[in-house]
Amino acid sequence: MNCRDAEPLMMPYLDGELVEADRLEVEKHLAECSPCAKQTEVSRHNRTLVRTLAKAATPPMPEALRAKVFTKVRSDQAGQRQGRFLRLSAAAAGVALCAFVGHHQWRSFQRKLYVDDAASRHARQFPLEVRVPQPEALEAWFDGKLGHRVAVPRFPNAVAEGARVLNVREKQAAYIRYDAPTRASAQPRQVGLFVFGDNGNDIDVGARGEAELGNSNGYNVVTWREGDIVYQLVTDLEEDDIRELMPADPGHRPPPPVPVGRPALDVQPASFQR
Amino acid sequence: MLGFSTKSDKARAEFEGLVAPWLDSLYGGALRLTRNERDAEDLVQDTVMRAYRFFDKFERGTNFRAWLFKILTNTFINGYRRQVKERSLGDESERQSVEAQFFSSDTTDQAQNPEDYLLQRVMSEDVLKAIDTLPIDFRMVVILADLQEFSYKEIADILDVPVGTVMSRLFRGRRQLEAVLRKREEVADAPLVDLNAYRERKKLG
Repeated sequence: MNCRDAEPLMMPYLDGELVEADRLEVEKHLAECSPCAKQTEVSRHNRTLVRTLAKAATPPMPEALRAKVFTKVRSDQAGQRQGRFLRLSAAAAGVALCAFVGHHQWRSFQRKLYVDDAASRHARQFPLEVRVPQPEALEAWFDGKLGHRVAVPRFPNAVAEGARVLNVREKQAAYIRYDAPTRASAQPRQVGLFVFGDNGNDIDVGARGEAELGNSNGYNVVTWREGDIVYQLVTDLEEDDIRELMPADPGHRPPPPVPVGRPALDVQPASFQR
Repeated sequence: MLGFSTKSDKARAEFEGLVAPWLDSLYGGALRLTRNERDAEDLVQDTVMRAYRFFDKFERGTNFRAWLFKILTNTFINGYRRQVKERSLGDESERQSVEAQFFSSDTTDQAQNPEDYLLQRVMSEDVLKAIDTLPIDFRMVVILADLQEFSYKEIADILDVPVGTVMSRLFRGRRQLEAVLRKREEVADAPLVDLNAYRERKKLG
């Protein structure tokens, strides 16, 4: 072993990460080569000093934070119990979809940020880049534009108006706008659907096949995940109409609806602004 | 068929029991990742919350601390890092072979006097500040190796990178750290104002 071979092994040697054979080789070289031996001693000294000082200067977790962390865990547990009182299951794009509908608090601030952003971007009525109703044509249009494959969900009765690329927070998303019928009026209402990749699990809507219904700025936002892909459906449809849009799987009859708090209409729904 | 399995009190107690011993080290790691207390507190809370939600997916008997730190670093990378617009070393340096990274001619990697001992009078705060100057990819590895004392294999699992990448980042990170600390020592050694030099300049001017 020469100095050039030994150099990259020095840190692993000091960290005790070399297999026996390599360790012996390195030690043999250090016994023969005083510059390398000197360098190794310096590195050992510096490594120890840095570790000791860094640890000494790192404060323990503040007591207040310690208490808060577990309080949150407990309230989350309570939230999960409260949250499963209403379910709607549906088949969308061939994947069974269950939605929990609740007026409980969003379980995570992070997720709420995505919901708010999706709602506000939908409200702003950005111009569409492509206007075709066929899901296949939209999928073809998205092909290669995003870092993930876009499967355009088919909603019975709803007709796609068109699509564009639009971010949700920092995530580049496919945005598809649909017109969906309502029970209350003959006028169809708009539904915006964001589809984006989230392999880092930023939006923890749990396992696949579940959906969360929340609201932001007067919009209902349904969020669910299929593998690494997150879907956020933004609409001013009422919950009954959302159930129509994503009809119950015949195998799973939804339980009788439980009264749910009406979303506060802070913002005029997009369909009224036209 | 319910989408959520409600966690029992027993599972929560188990979770709290497993997390409690590591809260200090999570917080210490979060402080060095975010470099400020407010974000560190948020990051720890997000991490614990997320760990709790995914607790079903934790394989009992495997390395819980490494699992927690994987969630910590992922949460940081996906959320906080974008907020602070921190520049990653990116693909460019990853594309180089591990060996090429070791022998990089990057000036920041070459300590001016690599044989120098860091002096004992380097202060603890200096070390933390120096760690904070490291680019995020180096910083993460230095935090995991030197503050948390994870093995290379554990760090590779936590960051989802090959062991060779861990080694090269640690090598470069420590070298850069030493260079920063050495510079601080030099500044500390230099007299605050060199009056004679000042007078010489005045004369010439």
